[in-house]
Amino acid sequence: MIYSSSAIPALKRLNDIFFFLKRQMIWAVIGIVMMIIVSRIDYKNWDRLFLPMFGLTILLLIFVLIMGKEVNGARRWLRIGILSFQPAELSKLTIIIYMARIIAKKGERIKDFMNGFLPVMSVIGLFVMLIMIEPDLGTAVTIGIIALSLLFAGGARLKHIMFLGVLLTPLMYTLIFNAGYRMQRLKTYWDPWKDPYNSGYQIIQSYLALGSGGLFGVGLGEGKQKLFFLPEAHTDFIFSILGEELGFAGGSAVIALFAVLIYLGFVISLRAEDIFAKYLALGITVMIGIQAVINISVVTGLLPTKGIPLPFISFGGSSLLINMLAIGILMNISGQNSGSG
Amino acid sequence: MDDRKTSEGSFKQARVRILVLAVIIAVGLSAGISRLFYLQVFRNNDLSKIAVRQHQKTVALEPLRGTIYDRKGRVLAVNLDVESVYAVPSEIGDAREAAKRLSRFINEDWRILEKKLKSDKGFVWLARKIDPNIAIKIKNEIKNEDLEGIGFIKESKRFYPKKELFGHLIGFAGLDNTGLSGIEARYDEFLKGEDGFIILERDARGSHIFPSSGYKPPVKGKDIVLTIDESIQYICERELDKAIQKTHAKSGMVIGMDPKTGEILAMAVKPSFNPNEFIKYAPAEWRNRIVSDPYEPGSTLKVIVASAALEDKVASPSEPMFFGEDKIDIDGEIIHDTVREKGRLSFRDVIKRSSNVGAVRIGMRLGKERLYSHLKSFGFGDRTDIDISGESRGILRQTREWSKRSIGSVSLGQEIAVTPIQLITAVSSVANNGWMMKPFVVSEIRDEDKIVRKVYPEIKKRVLSAETAAEMTRILTSVVEAGGTGEKAAIDGYRVAGKTGTAQKIDLKTGLYSDRYFISSFIGYAPAEDPQIALLVVVDSPEGLAWGGSVAAPVFKNIAEDVLLYMNAPSTNEERILMVKRE
Repeated sequence: MIYSSSAIPALKRLNDIFFFLKRQMIWAVIGIVMMIIVSRIDYKNWDRLFLPMFGLTILLLIFVLIMGKEVNGARRWLRIGILSFQPAELSKLTIIIYMARIIAKKGERIKDFMNGFLPVMSVIGLFVMLIMIEPDLGTAVTIGIIALSLLFAGGARLKHIMFLGVLLTPLMYTLIFNAGYRMQRLKTYWDPWKDPYNSGYQIIQSYLALGSGGLFGVGLGEGKQKLFFLPEAHTDFIFSILGEELGFAGGSAVIALFAVLIYLGFVISLRAEDIFAKYLALGITVMIGIQAVINISVVTGLLPTKGIPLPFISFGGSSLLINMLAIGILMNISGQNSGSG
Repeated sequence: MDDRKTSEGSFKQARVRILVLAVIIAVGLSAGISRLFYLQVFRNNDLSKIAVRQHQKTVALEPLRGTIYDRKGRVLAVNLDVESVYAVPSEIGDAREAAKRLSRFINEDWRILEKKLKSDKGFVWLARKIDPNIAIKIKNEIKNEDLEGIGFIKESKRFYPKKELFGHLIGFAGLDNTGLSGIEARYDEFLKGEDGFIILERDARGSHIFPSSGYKPPVKGKDIVLTIDESIQYICERELDKAIQKTHAKSGMVIGMDPKTGEILAMAVKPSFNPNEFIKYAPAEWRNRIVSDPYEPGSTLKVIVASAALEDKVASPSEPMFFGEDKIDIDGEIIHDTVREKGRLSFRDVIKRSSNVGAVRIGMRLGKERLYSHLKSFGFGDRTDIDISGESRGILRQTREWSKRSIGSVSLGQEIAVTPIQLITAVSSVANNGWMMKPFVVSEIRDEDKIVRKVYPEIKKRVLSAETAAEMTRILTSVVEAGGTGEKAAIDGYRVAGKTGTAQKIDLKTGLYSDRYFISSFIGYAPAEDPQIALLVVVDSPEGLAWGGSVAAPVFKNIAEDVLLYMNAPSTNEERILMVKRE
């Protein structure tokens, strides 16, 4: 029930802009229905459904590169009627199922480089690459982190993971230094006030929103920063507006709700005796947890600006739907394993 | 068993590693909550202040300037409603296209307009206070071409309904309604009123501005009533214009003063300037030369020299001061006389005929110290402190800087520079029984119907005894009678007292007195027995006959005649006129 209590403020956040509200409501209704359905489907079916799902995801990821709607130079969205869908969001779930399945199947062999680590990394690499072509570095990084976390928990050797880290360093380096805006974001991270009207603008506006909120906020709907001062106020920076309108009380309550949800996720994962269920639950928990941590850190200036949404709260239908689906799966695992465990 | 052990071991390892992941996320969330606390609670004060600053824009509301009236309540400066064009750059579509379209109506290069339309400000002025017809044209263009982000705001613009008539005196207020010259500048603190403000909430694009609670209405400026009489001003300008046209003179000035109070009744400066279009004139043309430009007064100064001699009793009115010579030698410098008279001339006739030799002799009777101290006492070399900015002191050198022949030159109104306001103030004190009044142009400052400040006439000092003043008036009256240099200033039915002046201008090329360019002037007052107005007429560089008596005296006559009629001044007793004529 945690998702709903956090979903409600998300909807209220947007109720002054009906355009977003209507779409987000449609997604929310779809999400809730899907969540209820999914929570009643035995999670083991996901294991069986894996191959078609895997194929569909890859297809959609390729499809979006060709047919996708281009926004700000990125092809991330597929249009479905009035709604847009991000295949990259779906791939998060697909990757989690894939990882849980492979860890359950391979068991100890995951420790083996040639038989365990390398094939897994190749699959993940394919996903990450397709998503980076869009480009959507935020989601690509999220998927990478989820996969690595599951590999780590699944027993992969630390030296393999470290090897990957060494391998990825030059890649990240070129990625950052070849895209001017990424470099700019990094520089701004160190001192946003140096360039308050350009690269530092967004984070400073976020500070101003949060700072204006104080302990209890300026009141719902009273926030001024959303009046175009803060770009992406309803998506990646929605937490700033929440902080402005509901204050530290509201902001910390949201963080607390995430903490509870994540705590429950970890408990479900730890209690699960079925290996597939254990890693499925862990993957879902890490997916929500890592996105929440990164988003809140970005908004409060702890991490450089990165386009990662706040689960359940940011505007974005695909993200909401996938997160709801994931919660449904988590609920099902919890129901099946709590009795036995 | 082995297998179970490894599976047992990997199970434990998995548990530990899952807990590690949990701890990492917990640390991340804790960091977020701490940071949130820091930003929202510790930095609340300063961050919210910065935020308020960017949300709110305080817009100054311009007050209406006070009205300027003449002494009879006629309006000389008012405010008109006009429109100004502004742009909200963030709402502009094609800035270049819009700039090119607008530049056809706004007198500005399209590149400059384009730059304004592309600026990152929320609001920019494109043109302030434009012609109403142009505003209509721009509005049509905006409608026809669907230009967005361009709007109009009503503002007020100063308008001077009398145009050139009071240009130099009233001056003007600039685009931002600040007085820049004349009365408008001098009394700006009263006329301008108090700014109001309105606090507008705004978004980052600067558009969608909506008013908030903060509002203070502007306070209209105070009204000002001048001592000037528009009718008299009009008469002065009309007659001065005529004379300048007739003589092709370079420029001219007339100042009229009530000698009993020091109130300035008229102040005309030609060539004139229209304050509604001040931008079309050079700043030098805005200057009120009556207070700012000293000139060598020539023979009009003999009034003062003679008054001083009588006051100090170094000569009597009937005492002979001229003995038929045509020149006088002062330390090697020959001063010629224009008077060709075989016989002797009394002190009185020296003034009447404006004899140079006689005047030099009167000056020498006084001696340079006394002459200097009297000139100083009459206000030369000092500001009159009239309430008009930019007043000059003129030039009156200390006696230690005088050469031996300076006494002669000064007696003739040379080697001394006076402003018209100094001269009229000095001569007015002769008209006012020896009392010198402080000249002034603003008589009242009003707030609606309430008088905020009332200016009363102020006696500066007594410069002459009543007897000397009366004697001087008699002498000056003779100037305007038959045989005097100022005959042409005579008015039927009134006794006029006055003095002509014809000063050679200094040729800027040679540094010597020019024999082609003169300043022709006449100073006088009427009616002589009860002066209603003192007038100084100065005509610069008339062509042809340049005598003060032939150029300036008729101007004086025409003005004084109409002004006395306008003022309903009682005409001088006929018998007395006859009596004087017999004398």
